[in-house]
Amino acid sequence: MAVTDPSQFSLAEASRAIANGELTSEALTESYLARIAALDGDLHSFVLVLTDQALAAARAADAELKAGRSRGALHGIPIGLKDIYKTKGIRTTAGSRVYETHVPTEDAETWVRLRGAGAVLLGKQETHEFAIGGPDFTLPFPPARNPWNTAHYPAGSSSGTAAAVGAHLCAAGMGSDTGGSIRGPAAYCGIVGLKPTYGRVSRRGVFPLSYSLDHCGPLTRTVEDCALMMQALAGYDPLDPASASEPVPDYAAALSPRLDGVKIGVLRHFHERDAVAGFGPESAPSPIYTAAFDAAGRTLEALGATLVDLQVSPLVDYADTNRIILLAEAYALHEADFRERPHLFGRHMFARIGLGAFLSAADYVEALRQRRELCAEFAAAIAGVDVVISANATGPAPRIDTLGTFTTYTRASYTAPWNLTGSPALSVPIGFEDGLPLAFQIVGKPFDEARVLHTGYAFEQAAGLYRQQPPIAASLPGR
Amino acid sequence: MADPISDERWAFLLERAGLDPAKAPERFAELREGYPLIARLQKSVRRQRDRAAEPSHTFNPKG
Repeated sequence: MAVTDPSQFSLAEASRAIANGELTSEALTESYLARIAALDGDLHSFVLVLTDQALAAARAADAELKAGRSRGALHGIPIGLKDIYKTKGIRTTAGSRVYETHVPTEDAETWVRLRGAGAVLLGKQETHEFAIGGPDFTLPFPPARNPWNTAHYPAGSSSGTAAAVGAHLCAAGMGSDTGGSIRGPAAYCGIVGLKPTYGRVSRRGVFPLSYSLDHCGPLTRTVEDCALMMQALAGYDPLDPASASEPVPDYAAALSPRLDGVKIGVLRHFHERDAVAGFGPESAPSPIYTAAFDAAGRTLEALGATLVDLQVSPLVDYADTNRIILLAEAYALHEADFRERPHLFGRHMFARIGLGAFLSAADYVEALRQRRELCAEFAAAIAGVDVVISANATGPAPRIDTLGTFTTYTRASYTAPWNLTGSPALSVPIGFEDGLPLAFQIVGKPFDEARVLHTGYAFEQAAGLYRQQPPIAASLPGR
Repeated sequence: MADPISDERWAFLLERAGLDPAKAPERFAELREGYPLIARLQKSVRRQRDRAAEPSHTFNPKG
């Protein structure tokens, strides 16, 4: 390969280079560690860098490969984990003073699987407090910045992971998503993020936010990388009460560049009508976003897909149902700390989750009843197509100092509906506005991540946007 | 955001929830500002439904 700085490889490219002996895991890990040392002072994507452990793991991976044993596509690949993933013997803070010195005695099941597949842990990555309270400048961990412009917001709550992947500070990472915390950061940071089907990837050992809405999933630079991560992550975990025992297909094998015969439903009323009607003019999509979304649809048609418009209930019904369930479940699990030591919470976490104290049991049950109706409605809508496309964040990332405490509840959320339905949903870049990325979502039927990834891959290869990288992602001088 | 509730109502809500604003006065003041959002969210899910309309208590993503 012509590339000499291994941090410029995608995960898949690095994997192939390691497998055929052109690259060592140690060299790749050193490259990322050098980038973290040089660049993360501005980006704040890591809260803990595991230099010695990472290099030791990389050397062990190289030795194993030299001895003729390969663990597969992730062998020797350096990754990061959002700091709500428990890591045995390694500090895991959940971005909170409540757990500032917490050292778990167990690993998250997802990290066990990734490590078993050969991945190398570079470090723990910045998260909004308990996966909801950010960006918060009152916490001990500075908020991560957008790799395309560090004055701007990378979205959250998997902010550190998305920023690090976008800036080439790791090959891939793990986020969590309760209302959009993988797909929002993926959109603003110009990378790929997958919220798998509820039950597809274990949540065990990851700090919960809302039991019935939480999902764990990967953030990567390309859809192919995402497929390789999913191969290691997907599968039944008998110790996760929500885990589903469903067959796991070969995700990489499902990737192909054409979409002939694929029928795609388009949920355009979410952004064209419902956003302003339900949340006010501040939620209006930008004209450039609307044009990019329409252009993405034409690209999918040019690849052989057939597009049909779909209609479901207004976006506000989905988003508000998600918010009531999230508030009720999150407040219940943090209630003791709200009563006994509320001063430890950052201001955003406190105000956003504290609202849950004022919901009644009947509010929660009514939200669950509405959830059932919306799930049934969407299941019927997607039954006649293979996948659905819908908007993601409908404009460029705002400046990081302009976000209000309650903005997360007052603006349109295009990602929350798919936490409610549990559907697999992939965020893929579709363009740029003011030098900042835009994205849409590809939503699938339950456990059909393969079709979602196939559609995303075909679009990504045709659009070619993955080749555009933020300036901070360029090689360091002398490398 | 306009203050939607009286001091007495706010004190009642906090007491019912077992919360003590003296432990973090600034945090509780900001929380009070967000209270109007609760009314909007409640309105969004309070609908006329058949009594037989079940909640999604047996969540099944295939359902």
